[in-house]
Amino acid sequence: MWSRFRRALRSIAHRREREGELDREIRFHLEMEMSENRKSGMGATEAREAALRRFGGVDQVKEEVRDSWGVRFLDTLLQDVRFALRNLRKNPGFAGVVLLTLALGIGANTAMFSVINGVLLRSLPYANGDHIVVLTQPAKGIQADDVGFSPKEIADYRAQSRTLDQVVEYHSMSFNLFGRGEAQRVQTGVVSANFFDVLGVRPLHGRTFVDKDDVAGAEPVLVLSHEYFQKAFGGDPSIVGQVFEMNDKPHTVIGVLPPFPQYPNDNDVYMPSSACPFRSNPRTVDNRQARMLNAFGRLKPGSTVEQAQSDVSLIASQLAAAYPKDYPATDGMSARAASLKEELVETARPTILVLFGTTAFVLLLVCANVANLMLARASGRERELSLRMALGAGRARLVRQLLTESAILSVLGGALGLLFALFVREMLVGFVEKFTPRAHEIAMDGRVLLFALGSSLVTGLLFGLVPALANRPVLATSINSGGRSGVGARLSFGTRNALIVSQVAISFILLTGAGLMLRSFLRLERVDPGFDPENVLAVSVPLNWSKYTDTKSRIGFFRPLMEEVATRPGVTSVAMTQSVPLNESQPFNVAFVVEGQAVAPDAPKPQVDFEVVSQEFFKTIGAPLLRGRAFTDQDHDTAPKVVLVNDVMVRHHFQGVEPVGHRISLDGGDEWRTIVGVVGNVKQFTLDKASTEQVYIPFLQAPRVGTLLVRTSGDPWGLVGPIREIVRRLDEKQPIGRVRTLEQVRSETLASPRLTAILIGLFALLALIITTAGIVGVVSYSVSQRTQEIGVRMALGADRATVVRMVLRQGLMPVLIGLAAGMVGALALTKLIARLLFDVAPTDPVTFAAVVLSLVAAAALACWQPARRAAGIEPMLALRSD
Amino acid sequence: MKHASRPDLLQGTLDLLILRTVALQPMHGWGISQRIQQVSRDVLRVNQGSLYPALHRLEGAGFIDSEWGSTDANRQAKFYRITASGRRRLVEETENWRRMAEAIGRVLSVV
Repeated sequence: MWSRFRRALRSIAHRREREGELDREIRFHLEMEMSENRKSGMGATEAREAALRRFGGVDQVKEEVRDSWGVRFLDTLLQDVRFALRNLRKNPGFAGVVLLTLALGIGANTAMFSVINGVLLRSLPYANGDHIVVLTQPAKGIQADDVGFSPKEIADYRAQSRTLDQVVEYHSMSFNLFGRGEAQRVQTGVVSANFFDVLGVRPLHGRTFVDKDDVAGAEPVLVLSHEYFQKAFGGDPSIVGQVFEMNDKPHTVIGVLPPFPQYPNDNDVYMPSSACPFRSNPRTVDNRQARMLNAFGRLKPGSTVEQAQSDVSLIASQLAAAYPKDYPATDGMSARAASLKEELVETARPTILVLFGTTAFVLLLVCANVANLMLARASGRERELSLRMALGAGRARLVRQLLTESAILSVLGGALGLLFALFVREMLVGFVEKFTPRAHEIAMDGRVLLFALGSSLVTGLLFGLVPALANRPVLATSINSGGRSGVGARLSFGTRNALIVSQVAISFILLTGAGLMLRSFLRLERVDPGFDPENVLAVSVPLNWSKYTDTKSRIGFFRPLMEEVATRPGVTSVAMTQSVPLNESQPFNVAFVVEGQAVAPDAPKPQVDFEVVSQEFFKTIGAPLLRGRAFTDQDHDTAPKVVLVNDVMVRHHFQGVEPVGHRISLDGGDEWRTIVGVVGNVKQFTLDKASTEQVYIPFLQAPRVGTLLVRTSGDPWGLVGPIREIVRRLDEKQPIGRVRTLEQVRSETLASPRLTAILIGLFALLALIITTAGIVGVVSYSVSQRTQEIGVRMALGADRATVVRMVLRQGLMPVLIGLAAGMVGALALTKLIARLLFDVAPTDPVTFAAVVLSLVAAAALACWQPARRAAGIEPMLALRSD
Repeated sequence: MKHASRPDLLQGTLDLLILRTVALQPMHGWGISQRIQQVSRDVLRVNQGSLYPALHRLEGAGFIDSEWGSTDANRQAKFYRITASGRRRLVEETENWRRMAEAIGRVLSVV
């Protein structure tokens, strides 16, 4: 069939050429024949006529030859298509329902595939993307995945590695950029000069960094990210060469980057490491423990990630041996190399795959449903099909006719689905963005189009073959019998029940998945963050550290800021903090010792995260003080050093001992701080993990803060303008950064589980609706098929309740089988989403019970109407009806 | 799905004769018809009207190949040549034909 189809296509493509050849071939034949005739003594005209006569009608022969080219196959195909379209137009309701379900099924799959394609399959859009490895230094002893690299370590790895031909460094800070209008806060990637060359990123305008930009004392230069270039400068290339003030020094823009996914985070601008006041500070450069950098390496040609791994492990152990003081054995430091491509999508992969699995199930369900609809219609068309067979249509031709119809439906449905996928692209990008920086690479490329076409055709084949094959026993008898109780209907009815079983099973799996995600999300939402997020505004005030260099000048800025904001109407309290709660970063762990508690020298030191907060912090965020006192104005720079600790830390390290009054040290015993109070556990990082052990240091003793928190009695948003005004009055070059409410902060941490739950929930709901509609269809059909039989039963004395019971029993039987199959499937499959669940077991009995109940309820509801109709049958009418 | 219409005896015979003829050497359509006529000592006069459809059908089925080339008189003509699958087909069909001829012969001798 395929080769014939190809031939038909070829004959269209080369039709003109082949016609010409056929002409020449026949002319040659006739000329040969003529010359032969002339040799035997005929005249020119006579010879010609004899030749033509013998050939027997040139046009007729040509027509026959054309037939053998396969054009006839194409003609019947066109006929089938026309016929199918006419049929579908005759049944717009049927065609509409089928197209809509197909569009949803194929569209959802295509959309998810575009995510898989853009995020998981395509090579990285950096020229050398597939050869880049991410280097990390995990420290097992202090439970850190990565402590980062110091400049000295970067230099060592660069010099000693035998598998990496380049090692680049990266860190990101925010600085204030001043030069056009208001000062702007810019997130700045600080990189070594070779960073963009190693990634293989070419500038869009100007140039990227060269070695001489990255030496001590070089003129500071900047490269703009494409996003920032568009947002702040409207994409005007004349920005290259402009000078801005940053960290109190002039910085020249030398280039603009093309759009590309930035990793590990998005930056507005990039600067060479020599331009960063912290990175170029001698205290950083000379300190092997100043681990503040990320490192990437490019594999030498022929080297693998595994080889790079053993290479860096070796270097790590050599460094530990050479500088034992900087690599305490108790920290358990090592080095790790991993493919950048893997690292970029690590967190996204499980969610994306689960969603793709979900849409694949939805598509299967759609297939089953459409097959069922087709089957119902085919049964209705039994007499038409039988008649056509009787008139001489071959069985193959009829099957082909049915398949043509399903192919047309699926391709049209696929085209609509593609539109659907295009339509939801923006939404998907926004969703995937929460997991991976590659989200913006999601696009409809050739591979996605091919996928859409392929899935449409497979879908069409699946739902088209079922009715085509199930109708096999449709024989001419159904014309004779003329009744509705033809043999074919009964047989295809078994197929229809089997389809219901599979639909119920798939719905069960999808509903269970959705139920688990929903319960997980609700659990997560109910987690107590340890503070009251309502009516608290968080305004980032990123101070220019190179201008406010000492404690006094920083306090001199922040104290009047807090005092002024506190006088505003509606403000109930004001505080400063280093970082907002639930900030989704990693704990900044430091080792600490409790005075008087002996620590074995070879045991790892206990770790604790520390935050710097001002006096009113706990009052402002609404966290309780459990014991002792909060910070006061008296806890200033020259007063005794104090600290607050949280409850989990007390439980872990002061079992049964009153902690207030004890002293701890965060720097190995040089400076001791007295615990003055114990506060409740504030979730500092995420809701889905246990509270971290936390110490709080008063802002007056270490003014490293950057976020202003304001609790108000009413809506806090009105304060944004006044706060910006106050900041500008204090320092006209000082911008404010991101403004959020703590309620928003909390909501953002819930955004991705919420969206995942909503998406899977929508698919499951769709599945439930489709399945219910399918059950209604099958049961109604069976009732209408059995009108006579039911009439007979009732005439023989069956009462209405018996009839209702019978219809319900037969309608619910496939549902119950489907439930059992779905339960088995769900038990096997929900294990796969265990990683995405919070505080809910993948076999959660409540979810399973709820799914069983809702499916049974939906099925009973679906059977109810047809059952009532069956009960309402008038025996006499039914018996006469056929 | 093979051929849509079952080839009748005559057509099947023509296919067999064509395959047999081009098995010897590549030939153009006119040559094939002449050759069959000569070899059968003028008993079989090929209906030229069915020769070309048969050639194109056999080509489509992959039993023969075609190529434009020059004749002895240096004229351009389309030459047909048997393919490997054509040879297999020829063996099969020859065998079938023999069996059928034999069977018909037996039937005729009995009557």
